[in-house]
Amino acid sequence: MPSDLDKQIEQLKRCEPLSEGQVKELCLKAREILIEEGNVQYVDAPVTICGDIHGQFFDLLELFKMGGFCPDTNYLFMGDFVDRGFYSVETFLLLLAFKVRYPDRITLIRGNHESRQITQVYGFFDECQRKYGTPNVWRYCCEVFDYLALAAIVDGRVLCVHGGLSPNITSIDQIRVIDRKQEVPHDGPMCDLLWSDPDGDLIGWGLSPRGAGFLFGADIVKMFTHSNDIDLIARAHQLAMEGYKLMFDRKLVTVWSAPNYCYRCGNVASILELNDELQQEYKVFQHAPTDTRSIPVKRPAPEYFL
Amino acid sequence: MDNSGDELYPIAILIDELRSEDVQLRLNAIHRVSTIALALGPQRARDELIPFLQDSLDDEDEVLLALAEELGRGMDEYIGGKDWAHLLLGPLENLATVEETLVRDKATESITKISTLLSPAQVEEFFVPLLRRLSTADWFTSRTSGASLYPPAYPQSSDATKDELRKLFLGLASDDTPMVRRAAAKWLGPFVKTFSKQHVISDALPIYRKLSSDDQDSVRLLTVEDLIAIAEKLDPAEVKEQLLSSIRAEVGDKSWRVRYMVATHFVKLAEAVGVDIVREELVGAFVQLLKDNEAEVRTAAAGQIPGFAKLLPPEVILARILPCVRDLSLDASQHVRAALGTQISGLAPLLGREATTEHLLPLFLHMLKDEFPDVRLNIISKLELVNTVIGIDCLAQSLLPAIVELAEDKQWRVRQAIIEYIPLLATQLGVKFFDEQLGNLCMSWLGDNVYSIRESATINLRKLTEVFGVEWARGTIVPKVLQMGSHPNYLFRMTTIFAITTIAPTLTLEIIRDNVLATVIALVKDPIPNIRFNVAKSLEVLALTLANKGAEGHDVAQRRIVPAVETLRNDPDADVRYFAGRALERARAGEISETTIFGVLWVL
Repeated sequence: MPSDLDKQIEQLKRCEPLSEGQVKELCLKAREILIEEGNVQYVDAPVTICGDIHGQFFDLLELFKMGGFCPDTNYLFMGDFVDRGFYSVETFLLLLAFKVRYPDRITLIRGNHESRQITQVYGFFDECQRKYGTPNVWRYCCEVFDYLALAAIVDGRVLCVHGGLSPNITSIDQIRVIDRKQEVPHDGPMCDLLWSDPDGDLIGWGLSPRGAGFLFGADIVKMFTHSNDIDLIARAHQLAMEGYKLMFDRKLVTVWSAPNYCYRCGNVASILELNDELQQEYKVFQHAPTDTRSIPVKRPAPEYFL
Repeated sequence: MDNSGDELYPIAILIDELRSEDVQLRLNAIHRVSTIALALGPQRARDELIPFLQDSLDDEDEVLLALAEELGRGMDEYIGGKDWAHLLLGPLENLATVEETLVRDKATESITKISTLLSPAQVEEFFVPLLRRLSTADWFTSRTSGASLYPPAYPQSSDATKDELRKLFLGLASDDTPMVRRAAAKWLGPFVKTFSKQHVISDALPIYRKLSSDDQDSVRLLTVEDLIAIAEKLDPAEVKEQLLSSIRAEVGDKSWRVRYMVATHFVKLAEAVGVDIVREELVGAFVQLLKDNEAEVRTAAAGQIPGFAKLLPPEVILARILPCVRDLSLDASQHVRAALGTQISGLAPLLGREATTEHLLPLFLHMLKDEFPDVRLNIISKLELVNTVIGIDCLAQSLLPAIVELAEDKQWRVRQAIIEYIPLLATQLGVKFFDEQLGNLCMSWLGDNVYSIRESATINLRKLTEVFGVEWARGTIVPKVLQMGSHPNYLFRMTTIFAITTIAPTLTLEIIRDNVLATVIALVKDPIPNIRFNVAKSLEVLALTLANKGAEGHDVAQRRIVPAVETLRNDPDADVRYFAGRALERARAGEISETTIFGVLWVL
């Protein structure tokens, strides 16, 4: 194993971005690894499942301080690594470097923000442009996004997906046959997996206010878990003020891992530890203390009171 | 110069760059302006470059800022030395008038630097007229810049000029524009420092009084430092006569921002006015600030408590300051309490053992239970100061219950702060007391929910082993660590491995051979790969530790560790194979010095 990569991991842990050349190389290696993974990647328990991070790098470090670092703890991240926070570049590259260095210890699946269109609006593109002066790093990362798995299944019993279910998908096998190596489409099963939301008041399917994906009710989840013989659907995609939210007779959980989302929502975050018997333990954590630089200083502080 | 034709070429390029469309190119050229001057030679630098720079003022602020900086950075050397240094004032004067504050500030900073090179004649002929022009210019930006140049100009001027400068400054202090009055208030302090005492009373005081009674609080708040500067110039009797009413006015100002400034600078003020006034006047003023209506003022005042108390005899601290401290410990604002938390222990050395025990300890205990974690943390992190005053016994008896409680605090950072404090407590409590009171606690952290706490707990165990010795570790720590090796959750079994890896270098051959190895080797068969590759890492450290323990150690490593690592090298998991391979390589590398063992430890 190259010690260069270990050095890059240490560098990224200090929130220092890599050079453009290093990013290119890292992304190429990542693609080689990800292309081997299925649309629904098999994952062995024990594993710690995490939701949206959204570029909140220092809060990601809090997550690791709570749950342990890679590779000692196994992780599964359910997408939305980038956009909105101030450190999307460092966040995604750290996770990607872990993936390349320890492919069996960490699983990354795609979120709706891992897309060219969305990242141009919500910050990742601008951040790359600002930090590197060119859009190349953004381009390399977007190419990696196309290779990320769409879902993961832990010990055949827990389905992990960023958004939720799709009316076009009744069996997990139908996910396996999607041609995933493309930009997230505007509709269809691949889009729904990344965009849909559960709705506690709904029976059947409903229109999503997001303009992509669908809303799905308790009956849909019950049917899906029953016919696919799974215990739980773990997903992210929606802010949960308490860090996680169990629904539908504990058949579905939303895990949210960005504390004080957008640096102002005041929510706590959580991770879900599944032990080797798939027992669930939710660990709640808060945002990084403000003295570590969770929010960059925009300009020198003005002279006091003037 | 004969070869000027050759040199002209690069100079032309540089001058061209100064005129370039690209800001970055102009910026680079400015940063090389001393090279241009050097290449031109002093004569042409004076005749061509300086006028050029003086005219090229219409540029981006970024470029102007760079120019203002470069001109003050030893440019005089390239234009013919000190005798010509005044020529630099021309372009800098222009820069001191622009709109952007950063540029103006940098320009006046450079002028101040250059002024130290000037002869009295140059000052009279060039610097003072510049000051006059700036101070009476139409636009306020020039006048604000002017205010900052009085301190360097004044000491070098003739008496007649000095009289004039004091009058001009009074003009700035009475300016219509608040920005200029603020600049005057900001620079009065440094200006006063250059005054003779007579002029402090005759001129500085009226200027100060004018500014300190300004309508705008943003002007008044800047006069706090002027007040201190003036007080430093006067003897206590004069302070009393001239400044007492001003001090009272500042402390009682209707704007909290002014009171905040007074509170922030209180110790400096107290040191400037002398002991008598501190006792008669400032104690009362300080109490008033500690009881201020605004939390910001109380926070600032709380930060000054130990510094100010140093100037007081213990009985005054007890009678006047302590009651306020008591109130502050119950303050409604968490920020006030947090500020007090960092400062309160500073009172312990001043009060001495008995008074600390009687008066401060109850406050500590109370604040250790504060609902705001920062308050608790601040108290804990400063306990050492108290420790040296009242002794660990006393501290332990009274604080231990609180510490034990905090050791289970909901906030993991509070728990971590306590863990970091444990080795110190251990050194001072001794084995028996420690085992009774804190032993279980240290073990319970190994099973904490938060990874960072488990990690700190293992490091803590190593430090404790260093304090109490290996035999103690064998009896107390090792059994409990090994016990966790059979925990059903892999993350806790991991802690066992981490703990062994961390304390291994401090353990003896016997303990490793008889107590530790069996447990670690049993975990070679753990179902979770994460455990197995950490076993490999741990075996690596154990092998290296044993390698330093003579032939017998070497033998144990060969007989028991190497086969276990060999097994791991054929593991189905890639990461296990990798770390086992690395362990084998390093263990076989054989004679490895003590330092690499610690090196390995850090890598792990």
